[in-house]
Amino acid sequence: MVKTLRTLLVACLAGFAVPAQADDNWDAVVAAAKKEGKIVVYDMALGAPYFVAVLKSFEAKYGIPVESLDLRASELAERIRTEQSAGRFLGDVEIITTTMIEEQRQNGDFIEKLPPIPNAANLRPPFRADEFSVPAFVQPMGILINTRLVKDEDVPTSWADLNNPKWKGKILSDDVRPLGSGNTMFAILQHQMGGDFNEKLAEQKPVFSRDMRNDARRVARGEYPIYVPQIFAFTSDLKGLPVKVVIPKEGAPYAEMDLAVLKNSPHPNAGRLFIQHFLSMESQLIYANAWMPPVVAGVAERANPDAQAFANAKLIGPAKLAERPSMMSLAKKLYP
Amino acid sequence: MTVSADDRVVNVGRAPPMAGWTAKLRFFQGISAGRMAAVAFIILLLAFLTVYPLSMLLYGSLHSTPPGMAGAFNLDGYRDVLTRQSLLSLLNTVGISLAKTIPSLVLAVLLAWILARTDTPFRGALEVLITLPFFVPPILTAMAWGMLGNPQVGLLNQLYQWVTGSSVAPINVYSYGGVVWHMMQYSVPFLFLLIVDAFRAMDPSLEEAARMCGASRWRTFRTVTLQLMLPALTGAAILSFIRGIENFESPLFFGSPAGIRVITTDIYDAINQSSPPRYQYATSVSFVIMALLFLIVLLQWKVLKGRSFTTVSGKGYSPGIIKLGAWRWATFAFCILFFVVTVVLPVGQLLIGSFFKFFGFYEWDMLTLEHYQAVFGSSEFWRGFGNTMLLGLVGASLTMVLGGAVAYISVRTRWRGRLLIDAMAWLPWMMPGIVLGVGFLWGFALLPHAIPIYGTIWALLLAYISLGTPLSVRVMSSAYGQLSYDLEECSRVHGASWLQTMWRIMIALAWPSFAVGWVLIFFGIMRELSASVLLYSVGSEVLSVVLLKLWANGNAEQVSVVGLIMMVMVVLFRWVQLSVIKKRISTL
Repeated sequence: MVKTLRTLLVACLAGFAVPAQADDNWDAVVAAAKKEGKIVVYDMALGAPYFVAVLKSFEAKYGIPVESLDLRASELAERIRTEQSAGRFLGDVEIITTTMIEEQRQNGDFIEKLPPIPNAANLRPPFRADEFSVPAFVQPMGILINTRLVKDEDVPTSWADLNNPKWKGKILSDDVRPLGSGNTMFAILQHQMGGDFNEKLAEQKPVFSRDMRNDARRVARGEYPIYVPQIFAFTSDLKGLPVKVVIPKEGAPYAEMDLAVLKNSPHPNAGRLFIQHFLSMESQLIYANAWMPPVVAGVAERANPDAQAFANAKLIGPAKLAERPSMMSLAKKLYP
Repeated sequence: MTVSADDRVVNVGRAPPMAGWTAKLRFFQGISAGRMAAVAFIILLLAFLTVYPLSMLLYGSLHSTPPGMAGAFNLDGYRDVLTRQSLLSLLNTVGISLAKTIPSLVLAVLLAWILARTDTPFRGALEVLITLPFFVPPILTAMAWGMLGNPQVGLLNQLYQWVTGSSVAPINVYSYGGVVWHMMQYSVPFLFLLIVDAFRAMDPSLEEAARMCGASRWRTFRTVTLQLMLPALTGAAILSFIRGIENFESPLFFGSPAGIRVITTDIYDAINQSSPPRYQYATSVSFVIMALLFLIVLLQWKVLKGRSFTTVSGKGYSPGIIKLGAWRWATFAFCILFFVVTVVLPVGQLLIGSFFKFFGFYEWDMLTLEHYQAVFGSSEFWRGFGNTMLLGLVGASLTMVLGGAVAYISVRTRWRGRLLIDAMAWLPWMMPGIVLGVGFLWGFALLPHAIPIYGTIWALLLAYISLGTPLSVRVMSSAYGQLSYDLEECSRVHGASWLQTMWRIMIALAWPSFAVGWVLIFFGIMRELSASVLLYSVGSEVLSVVLLKLWANGNAEQVSVVGLIMMVMVVLFRWVQLSVIKKRISTL
């Protein structure tokens, strides 16, 4: 009861926080955004249904059409770099990993300083906006198991359980050597679990693969009993298959996606309005219901029952750009 | 007096002998100006389509940062290629490509001979069916073979264990063998499509002459048939070998779990999975590959130089069909076996899986049509499909016209600049697609803003023409190489203009190859992803980008539906094409 009341209180406060802290001229921003006529978003969602749902809700609410250019992360960064180097400023807002934004800032001035976004005040710890970007959503990862091959008493509850000799040669894993989810997990667990964790895991001889979506299905079909790292959101659409994602007690390593305004954005007000909308309760709830922990307060509690565990998962991370070269070379050393 | 093929080539394009001196002079002047303009136009066009994006990549290979970023010129990229790991990957790549090209060529020659030159039953239908795997997105067949041939629960291994009672799993697709096998799924039909019309267009009197002189059937096949097919076979084998070097999906899916590294996965890692992306290494290693492949092409030029491979002459002939007697059922069984193993097994998985909620879970309560409903009800699919059809139809047609022109100049004339044109047309084929896509992005984005290419559908069209030109040139070169020069001379002697001769003789006789090339390029455009994903803009989405999105979001079953739609289109296209060929040949 107390918990419910507290939840309601947080939700109400979050809902009222916006008008209270909003820029007095926010109505003018909305009007200017509508006048600009459209917004161009560069993203790496590749048409994910939850992302499309947010775009549609934005269009429905403000009547501003969204043009979404979907690319994989490295292609997205290179396209922005090339376009801006050629003096072509076509995109307004990007959604990309925190580390990519950090890299963009190291390599040039491809993004603008973040304009005031009222909903950024609702971010919940550990998420916070900085001078150039604001968290949009996160992709936490757990352990996928085949429920027919892994007995209840054998279900791993800790990352350390992967190093149980019984799983030797039976773990399918995203390749941890190149950039990607595998390496993100490797780097975060190196800190969280201590140096010997990855060494012992390497002795388990995990089999590497490079197609996360298909790999989860390989586990479902019984090729392997365990797959790591399993992105929570990728499991929500495997309902009906004999698989389950486990959130280890230490927490779930995660990758963070941030929103940033691209340099010389042709529709700056629409971009600002879009970021505001992405951080709204409505948009964040869409993500929470797709098994992703929301970045703003007062949302996780409102997620659907099947999404509650994932929306409220304990997070560990994120990986740091500065450590990437050393982590990649360590992974190559452990898995020559 | 004898006149060599080379001498006769020199005469192509000259005035009819009956013309007077004045008319002849005028004609020559006209031809020279027209010829120069034509050659200059083609050189400029190829320079823009092939040399320009490659020059961007060359810059990338010699500069520490990509175009538009501050950096310094150095050779670090090339130095990185000389590391032990890179050289091992390179050797591995060459080995795998050779291992798949040689058996693929043998199989393709055998199938082409059976289906084009023998009385094997149902060969018309078989000719369409055995080429189907080539047109299925590789990611789908990889998934299908993963389900069939994994050592743990693969259907083929389970079948073997059920039949033999053994617990051994003899098939493991996640191995060198798996990589080679998956590549062969594509290279056999590809080679078959490239060479089957060369077999069909051959005058059987040459073989009959050998038989009359006492040569056995095998010796005739070896010393006459195969020898005459040399340009088509070597050209196709080289194309296939190059495709093998640049293959990405097979080593990624089946090689990575087995620790097999090839140069394309190294390039993919350098561009897409390194921090920061290593464009200098990726472009440098690509130029090293290009140099090696060019040596192979030069070797082919040297081997074929000065030899005549004419099989279609002015004499009337009808394509000879060898009567095999009872053996025709053996050849039929061979084709059916090939069809079952390479088409029915993987494509059957895709077909069955498309009617269930999830691939591999074939339970009654999972039967559904939702994947078909999702695809047919998706506005994004129809937009991508429409754009791809438009780009495919226009792109394949323009590419074949350009390839036909380049091949004509290269094979049928001694015009100055023809070697340059031929070499320029080869270039895009020798650069791995992932890297060339980046070259197009850099090249088109850095054009002056007044040239409205970047961010429009034109960027995709130009990239597709560039990517398809090498194939169109090889297909048309092989076809032109088989046509006797007396056909052109005869036409000119009888007063036909150059254009009339081109239309009524050269194009009319080479059009079956034109049609095959068109189909290959059309479906190549449908499948192309590396350049498409970097060049598409909102509104100009193409099918491959739609497929990428579906795959990335875990909709493998919907990707299969699209793959099956593509196969239906192939059957339709090929059926029309073969019907028309049959009709034309019967009227020759």
